[in-house]
Amino acid sequence: MQLLAQVLVNGVLLGGLYALMALGLALVWGVLNIVNLAHGALIMLGAYVGYYLFTLLDVDPFIALPIAMVVLFCVGYLLQAGILNLIARAAMFNTLLITFGIDVVLTQLAQMLFSADYRTINPGYAGANFMLFGITLPWVRVLAFAVALLLTLAMWLFLLHTRLGRGIRATAQNLGAARLYGVSPKRIYALTFGIGAALAGGAGDLYGVVSQINPYIGATLTAKSFAIAIIGGLESPLGVVVGGIFLGIVESLTALYIGPTFVDVASFGILVLVLIFRPNGLLGSTT
Amino acid sequence: MKRALGFMAVTLAMCVSALAQDTITLGASVQETGALANTGRYYRDSYNFAVERINERGGVKVGGKTYTLGLKILDNQSDSNLSVRQYVQLLTQDKVNFLLGPFASDFALADSSVAEKYQVPMIQGGGASDQIFNRGYKYIFGTLPVASKYFESTIAMMGKLKPAPKSVALLYADDAFDVSVANGTRELIQKAGLKLVLDQRYSSNTSDFSTLISQLKSGNPDVILVSGHETEALNFVRQAKSLNLNPLMYSFTVGVPTADFRKALGKDSNYAFGMTPWVISSANKDAYFGNAEDFAKAYKARFGYDPDYHSASAVADVEAFVKAIEVAGTLEPTKVRDAISQVNFPSLYGTIAFNASGQISLPQTVIQVQNDQVKAIYSQSGMLAAPQYPMPHWDKR
Amino acid sequence: MTLRTKFVLALAATLVLAALPWFAPPTLVQFGIATLLLATLAQGWNIIGGFTGYASFGNSVFFGLGSYGTAIAMVQWQLPFGVGLAFGVLLSVLFALVMGIPVLRLRGHYFAIATLALSQVMTAIVSNLEIAGRNIGLVLPLLNGDALFYELSLAVLVLATLTIFWISRSRFGFGLIAIRENEDAAASMGIDTTRYKVLAFALAGIFSALAGGIHAYWITFIDPVSAFDLSLNVKMIIMTVFGGPGSVLGPVIGAFVLSAISETLSTEVSSVASLFFGMVIVAAVIFMPRGLADLIRRFRKTGWRYFSENVRSHRL
Repeated sequence: MQLLAQVLVNGVLLGGLYALMALGLALVWGVLNIVNLAHGALIMLGAYVGYYLFTLLDVDPFIALPIAMVVLFCVGYLLQAGILNLIARAAMFNTLLITFGIDVVLTQLAQMLFSADYRTINPGYAGANFMLFGITLPWVRVLAFAVALLLTLAMWLFLLHTRLGRGIRATAQNLGAARLYGVSPKRIYALTFGIGAALAGGAGDLYGVVSQINPYIGATLTAKSFAIAIIGGLESPLGVVVGGIFLGIVESLTALYIGPTFVDVASFGILVLVLIFRPNGLLGSTT
Repeated sequence: MKRALGFMAVTLAMCVSALAQDTITLGASVQETGALANTGRYYRDSYNFAVERINERGGVKVGGKTYTLGLKILDNQSDSNLSVRQYVQLLTQDKVNFLLGPFASDFALADSSVAEKYQVPMIQGGGASDQIFNRGYKYIFGTLPVASKYFESTIAMMGKLKPAPKSVALLYADDAFDVSVANGTRELIQKAGLKLVLDQRYSSNTSDFSTLISQLKSGNPDVILVSGHETEALNFVRQAKSLNLNPLMYSFTVGVPTADFRKALGKDSNYAFGMTPWVISSANKDAYFGNAEDFAKAYKARFGYDPDYHSASAVADVEAFVKAIEVAGTLEPTKVRDAISQVNFPSLYGTIAFNASGQISLPQTVIQVQNDQVKAIYSQSGMLAAPQYPMPHWDKR
Repeated sequence: MTLRTKFVLALAATLVLAALPWFAPPTLVQFGIATLLLATLAQGWNIIGGFTGYASFGNSVFFGLGSYGTAIAMVQWQLPFGVGLAFGVLLSVLFALVMGIPVLRLRGHYFAIATLALSQVMTAIVSNLEIAGRNIGLVLPLLNGDALFYELSLAVLVLATLTIFWISRSRFGFGLIAIRENEDAAASMGIDTTRYKVLAFALAGIFSALAGGIHAYWITFIDPVSAFDLSLNVKMIIMTVFGGPGSVLGPVIGAFVLSAISETLSTEVSSVASLFFGMVIVAAVIFMPRGLADLIRRFRKTGWRYFSENVRSHRL
């Protein structure tokens, strides 16, 4: 019982981080209709920003978080404005291919610049924890969870209640609609992709605090993000949080009751099932 | 002008062909990029270093003639299919004489079939899985010790600890090498009369261990043995700390001896046990590098990072070829292959000699990170230094 | 060029290719095997992606099932290679039918992601199967006969290309193109879209599985990661799109050109090969999004403006 409770809590906390990883992917996909295969590479870059700020300048990873987001926002903005906007109206394969190409380039550049060494963002409190009803709660994961929720909430408010946010949502429906909000589609596209990349950057910084970093972590993170985004649905940031937590719990329970080698069978199996039976996500409308 | 150019081209061609005649080229396809690049670089750098040094010391003497040693390395981008093709290319197009190995058991498994097909010996220092050697192949040799015995010395040491550990948990990744390790370790645990409370296979590249760690906490074994990759060892230690997992000791097949491990974990790397077939000691004499200690210093100066057993194993591969070629007195692959099977010489890595299936037999020395330094703790001859045992609880460090 | 001269040219090229093992060095033969198999895979993808317009990431599953079918039959049941190949094709067709029916109902990116997830699921399932050697993989018997593998690969590619030639002029093919252009309209024209799509998926499966089986026996060692390699699927797409999706010979030409580039890069500049390859992909998508076939057709008329016009017509 104790074990089950602990494992469930682990799953929920893991899910929070998952949600943050997937948030940017879902936004970009939902609004721009770009399936960004380079999303994991952006998370990886965010992790490196956090790592270098921490090791070179001694910046706490939670303070580095907004910096990583700003840096990645710029990267994302430039990628969209400089490259992706050039093929915005091309066939669907082409966006898949080009983001794959970008992923390869970013990964290889990361290896050249940062080497393939394994890194961690390891502040003194990284392993600290507290007990609650006999359950061990790692501080960092709890904080990461809280940050993930906060950012999601912020995203949600931003999309609903700001002029730019409404512009972005309108763009998701209709490309021309952005003009009604006084922003050119080009800028809306670049801004949206930038925000997506910024969220990836934040997720990367937190990922570096709980896990190890190397240039090649991106591929699995992209795949995970897809699973979460689809399970949660692309319609609202809150759905992504539910998707993340759902996946975190499913993975933890699978590891406990069936075996750790079946985790991928479960998470991607559920992804396929959701796509077949509820293509708008678990919470999405059924039509 | 044209004539001068033509003349130059001809001279150049002559030089090249003269050079080619007096060169013995070793070929290898290693992971310079891709997911395994971190360990792949040990092989690239060590092969280069060994070849350079051997040439400085006069090259290779075959039947009264002196050859320089050449080296052709290709990057397989951590893709095993590409590496197979590159080995064929090395043999048929680049006309290398002999083959050095890649890193990792699954690569060695695939690539050794090229050596066998073309009947050109390959000495590899990157794959230890038993499967590489139990297929009856004649042209594959390995300088990493037998996988199933990786934990042998650790379990022997556990018998000498106070308070004596009674229960063990075994976690292992699902790749060829780690499954071989687990199969051997299971028997060793049984023989030692220890209780195996958790025996769990996990997926390679797992990054979240929180469920496993929670299970370990509730099963509460005295000892945790982990056979996996370095990234997994890093994640395991970090998450063990954050979930406050406190066994009497834990040990990892890989990662602990590397500088990367200590750098990435900082203080948290302390108390972790590991193993290495290679001890950096002046007692390991070497014909080219003096001894293991001199080698380690020169290596650090040359490449900017500390060598570990992967480096030593790679150097031993090159030296084994030189030895075997000199004994065989010919470059004919089958003769050299027979000579390799007979070599027996001291090196910075230890005594190099291969058993009937082509693998070296080297005992593992148990090591532990103590105060941010790797310390040799236990070898066949007994305790070398006091182990820090049991490891203190995370909240009391 | 008339169809007749085209056909004669293709036949001549095939004969030259078939004779290659007798005069080419072994490295070239090996490069040939790899390229012919990739071209076959690209043709497989061409059927479902190029003609039908479904961006499948599940074709690497077909390849993997072909590899594993062959390996399991040969290693675990000691059956001959031919039987293994057939078993691999059977597995692959079964997969296409069972998974194709539900998954092919999805459109656009949703289909792409569903197939991507399927390939992850299959990797994970196979790495838990005792009979498939779990995640350790299987070692196949060694056969020293690259010429044989080469001719076999060539035969499969020719078969695939002839099939596509037939598709391109058949009712079936027009149906697939109609689905690509506007699926709802196709359905209202009386095309049984589900049957057409599943059939296309299964056809793609047959050729990919054949390539997988040959590759497994040739390379002699398979494990889940290399057999279900997602980047192989990406390569199929790149080669098809680069050559010209929905054409008969485009994917083959794309496979040959890109393999040559990638092989040259990985031997000449070795450790920056993947970086360059990534850049080539990005540049190709931007400047020639409709493939080599389109470039050759239109370049003569438009000249260098071809590239800037492409950008202009696809940018935001």
